[in-house]
Amino acid sequence: MIQTMMGLIGSVGFAILFGVYDRKLIWIALGSAAGWVVYLVCVAHGYGMFVGLFAASFFVAVLSELLARIIKTPVILMLVPMLIPEIPGGDLYYTMQHLVQGEYVQFGNFSNRVLIEAGAIALGIILASYAAKLVRAVGTHGPLLSRKDNKEKRNRE
Amino acid sequence: MNMDTKMIKMNGFLSAIMDIGELLLTHGAEVNRVEDTISRLCRAYGFIRSDVFTITSSIVASARMPDGQTMTQTRRIRERDTDLGKVELVNGLSRRVCAAPLPLEVLQEEIRKIQEMKKGSDGLKLAMYMMISASLSVFFGGFWMDGLAAALSGMVLFGALWVSSLLKLNSILQTMLCSAFTALTVSALVRAGIGVQPDKIMIGNIMLVIPGIQLTNSLRDMINGDMISGLLNMSEALLKAVSVAMGFAIILLVGV
Repeated sequence: MIQTMMGLIGSVGFAILFGVYDRKLIWIALGSAAGWVVYLVCVAHGYGMFVGLFAASFFVAVLSELLARIIKTPVILMLVPMLIPEIPGGDLYYTMQHLVQGEYVQFGNFSNRVLIEAGAIALGIILASYAAKLVRAVGTHGPLLSRKDNKEKRNRE
Repeated sequence: MNMDTKMIKMNGFLSAIMDIGELLLTHGAEVNRVEDTISRLCRAYGFIRSDVFTITSSIVASARMPDGQTMTQTRRIRERDTDLGKVELVNGLSRRVCAAPLPLEVLQEEIRKIQEMKKGSDGLKLAMYMMISASLSVFFGGFWMDGLAAALSGMVLFGALWVSSLLKLNSILQTMLCSAFTALTVSALVRAGIGVQPDKIMIGNIMLVIPGIQLTNSLRDMINGDMISGLLNMSEALLKAVSVAMGFAIILLVGV
């Protein structure tokens, strides 16, 4: 609970640092907390770190694509601050620490962890953004658009 | 004569459009968004064809006018500073322009207004640095005392970054020096009895200098098919992460 709150505060801090000042901060705060809760729930159900981070980042990315459409703002403005709690800063630190202290077995363990975590986050973002692209493509080229709209569009072009 | 004035006018429009693209790219928008915005704006101002090529450090755009003449402009982007608020403002401006093109003077005025906007005072930034490092060090398992220490060392980190930005150092070197300085502060704080776990405190600080936004952006660029920009961004982010690690590592090696 405290951890989630702290992740939320960190996200809001980054959002302000990146120049977001208005009501969007509330969305960012709620989204980042929800993302971390998704991770905690996944881990609590025994799915492990990879699945947890993947689910959390996928959730956050989908959420930011949706919110960006609704409140008409660039996706990146929502996505980046919301992802802050998922970034594996801790393991990155321990990787470096073990390397410096010459504990190569631990160094190997932790660098593997960081790679896995970063991979999970990347995969989540990639899938969500492909899904958004797909939905948009279906929306513009698919049957959702009536014939009349198509004709108008062609005339305009 | 008439031809010339028209040419000059269109050139002015293209310059303004390039300004918009530059604003987007310097303040942290994805390459894809920059290219998209520039070509939409070109269409809105009556160019019949536009070819835009953008990577993280440069924009090249050529646009053809209805009478068949083509003009090209390029911009070199050297310094970048994330300010998503500005990205949003520019985005709003370009939406408005695409709906109803503004006259050149008005457009230039709007662009200048966004360019000159201040990002928020140093005091606010300092407060955010302290808040972020405190909350994230508790997030990664620190105690409340560690959070306090992280806030203090976050303050030092901000000061170090501010001073070194005056010196105009190479950015890799700057990150390394500032990280080292922060690590030194953390170990001094722990010696003085503020904070118990130096690792948690340092993690709180590291999160501030780690290029998280750049890494996310690079992945998004690659997904959108901008491989060069994605690779550029990713290698820059990795180099920066290594330099942060080196900075902290120096202090750990010396074992203060």
